[in-house]
Amino acid sequence: MNESMLCTKTHEYLLEQDGKYEVGITDYAIEQLGDIVFVELPEVGTEFSKNEAFATIESVKAASEIYMPISGKVVEINEQIVNSPELLNDETYEDKWFVKIESKADQIEFADLLDYSDYKEEIE
Amino acid sequence: MTKQTFLHDKHITLGAKMVDFAGWDMPVQYSSIIEEHKTVRENVGLFDVSHMGEMIVVGEDALPFLNKLVPQDIKKLVDLKAIYCQLTNKNGGIIDDLIIYKLEESKYLIIANASRIDEDLNWMVRNKTGFNVEIINESHNYSLLAVQGPKACELIKSLGVEDLPTFFTIKRATLFNINLWISRTGYTGEDGVEILVKNEFSEYLWDKLLESGKSFGIKPIGLGARDTLRLEAALHLYGNDLDENTTPVEAGLAWSVPKNKNEDYNGKKEIMKQIEHGTQKKLIGIKMLDKNIARHGYDVYYNGEKIGIITSGGISPVRGDNIAMAYIKNLDNLAVGSTIQVMIREKLHNAEIVKRPFVKKNNKG
Repeated sequence: MNESMLCTKTHEYLLEQDGKYEVGITDYAIEQLGDIVFVELPEVGTEFSKNEAFATIESVKAASEIYMPISGKVVEINEQIVNSPELLNDETYEDKWFVKIESKADQIEFADLLDYSDYKEEIE
Repeated sequence: MTKQTFLHDKHITLGAKMVDFAGWDMPVQYSSIIEEHKTVRENVGLFDVSHMGEMIVVGEDALPFLNKLVPQDIKKLVDLKAIYCQLTNKNGGIIDDLIIYKLEESKYLIIANASRIDEDLNWMVRNKTGFNVEIINESHNYSLLAVQGPKACELIKSLGVEDLPTFFTIKRATLFNINLWISRTGYTGEDGVEILVKNEFSEYLWDKLLESGKSFGIKPIGLGARDTLRLEAALHLYGNDLDENTTPVEAGLAWSVPKNKNEDYNGKKEIMKQIEHGTQKKLIGIKMLDKNIARHGYDVYYNGEKIGIITSGGISPVRGDNIAMAYIKNLDNLAVGSTIQVMIREKLHNAEIVKRPFVKKNNKG
């Protein structure tokens, strides 16, 4: 996990990189889900509002929706995890982001996001 | 208050993820459901299924009493032989699915689903009038450990049990100086045994089996893999695939309903009518034709019309695709090979009707 990421209480993370944001789910969420066997991502160009479901992930046991931490437009998706969802369980594999978004979100949208240390406290 | 088996501390020590199952705090997985699944298909796995119910039916009318309760013909059972059957209501609906063992003349052991113990007991008591029989719930006295996989019997033999019981037979045996019952049954589609042991010996037995099983590749297996294993073997799960509004015939269990049983039993009229004239709904197996996963409760479509519902679905770790069981309208033109659709997140996804079991069983002992 990257110290500069922001997290939601529903275990998504947001990481700013080169003016875009990477969105994914936290290591804790992956560990809780267990074996991940299916990932469905939106098409590039789709716009989402904050807290809107943008992806579906399925473990052996159940399907879960993944929500946008802030509003934005999808500019890139991680095809690797769609083709090989089990990579998300691979501790040696690093590219676990789901989508990259461009966002014009204002500070209000960031208000309820937790910084990494607060998130860690939250899950302990 | 959730109940705990006598092996609860063992699961915690092994780092299991625990979940509530039928009011019991049970291990869903120790490492990974897929890895545990493969352990059972390739080597041997150890399961704590102590939540399941054990009841003894004893008395001079035990045989006619049981024959009134289930479509199977209990007369066919010789000593130490077991039979798979269903406890049916007056309409033929399934109150529970059971394994009944004949322990000796006029004495039978019933293994029941954890979630149905109370209903089963109530139903048996309600049907008891006129029968000289005693129903004893032993569920709280016994633990049940399942040892399943291609190396399961080899492991048990290496512990000094030379004559393992044959498929669907039980015998008294001694393991690590503990007197117990070994039954050649399971819920995985693999060969293996289920061991019925008094609670006070279950922890010791659990540790010893894990220790002696090391060279056979034994691992503890949670309920997660138990579910994927039974689904590949197309074994029904009560509450998902079976309920009080579904008969054995509709559930694809007509093989466990003898056509020539003379005795009357609860639901016989409806069940025999269905055997003769067919049913409104039927259980089918499907495989998804894309990567989507059909799950319990999803709707099934054909030609734009809703024709049924998924009752169990998930991944098949062995086949590498996604499989499910569903009840659909009994339409003549739908058979193995037909394409139907499953509604998943508001989109229809193609699936093909396939034969059950989804994976070849290896348990004929």
